[in-house]
Amino acid sequence: MKILKIFFHLQISIPLLLLISLSGCKSDFELNENLQGFSFTLSDQDGKTVKFTSDQKGKLIVVGFIFTHCPDICPLTVNNMQLVQKELKKEGIEGVEFLAITFDPERDSVKLLKKFSALREIDEKNFRFLTGPRKEIDSLMSVMRIVAVTGDTTMIDGSASYFYTHTDRISIIDQRGFLRTEYPGSKANIEEIVNDIKKLR
Amino acid sequence: MLNLIIGILLLATLAPKLEVTNNWVRPSSKDMNTAVYAVIKNNSDKADTLYSVSSNLAKVTEIHETYEKDGSMGMRKVDFIVIPAKKSFELKPGSHHIMLIKLNQDIQKGKKYELTYKFKRAGEIKVSAVANDKASGHGTH
Repeated sequence: MKILKIFFHLQISIPLLLLISLSGCKSDFELNENLQGFSFTLSDQDGKTVKFTSDQKGKLIVVGFIFTHCPDICPLTVNNMQLVQKELKKEGIEGVEFLAITFDPERDSVKLLKKFSALREIDEKNFRFLTGPRKEIDSLMSVMRIVAVTGDTTMIDGSASYFYTHTDRISIIDQRGFLRTEYPGSKANIEEIVNDIKKLR
Repeated sequence: MLNLIIGILLLATLAPKLEVTNNWVRPSSKDMNTAVYAVIKNNSDKADTLYSVSSNLAKVTEIHETYEKDGSMGMRKVDFIVIPAKKSFELKPGSHHIMLIKLNQDIQKGKKYELTYKFKRAGEIKVSAVANDKASGHGTH
């Protein structure tokens, strides 16, 4: 009788524990902004139209905001995204898109983004740099709570060379378009992001 | 014994009073900007001041620092950096760096580029910085 009782208990508790542990992986992260309904029209480094986030539906998106004239912070953010991409590739993890979106579309043309990508030897298979009309970029930044204001400016040959003071962030958007988690872009812990991606898959 | 003491004293005299080592620059392209990093080691018993850096690589070369305020990151020019006696100061990503604004040429990975650091006491020190896109991320090294 006692054995039957234990068996009955195990029959209920094992699937329950399994369910809790499985759902626990993804519920480690809050469901933040829902970007599912948005379809921002942008261009990648090859000039191809990209609809953010509708084109990436069903994939995890690792997204960072940058400007290519940035000498110190944005290259670190891109470098960190690249390190995550390399680590995922090494581990054979697929279904993740990397998007680096400019908040300086006036200067960051498609051609310049391509050059920026080539210079850093980015594997463009699942890593794209995006630009677009100022209005579209501003709307997207507002939805994702990204702030970028022009700050330090140097006059060169009569024209202003300006820099931004900006949000330093890498975000992960899940397969359904929910913003799930964020990291300090230039100081991100690669291992932490990779582990979180594994949980959110 | 006397020879040993003389030898040590001689070595101490021969050691450069100030060294700029581990020089590297982030690859970038013409008309863009980039940053140069290094370790400045002050071997002397007096503080020294880095007040300028010059190069033909860009239209403007400035000493800058990266700062964080209210969750945003920005950069600003600094007029000088003091390197205390017998101490090192690192110009590093996300912190103080030498900013090259509006490059006159491409900065290509693996190539070397000349700069001159100007110190109040040690005078001018010419260095060669290697172009390298060093990682900043933690956890994979």
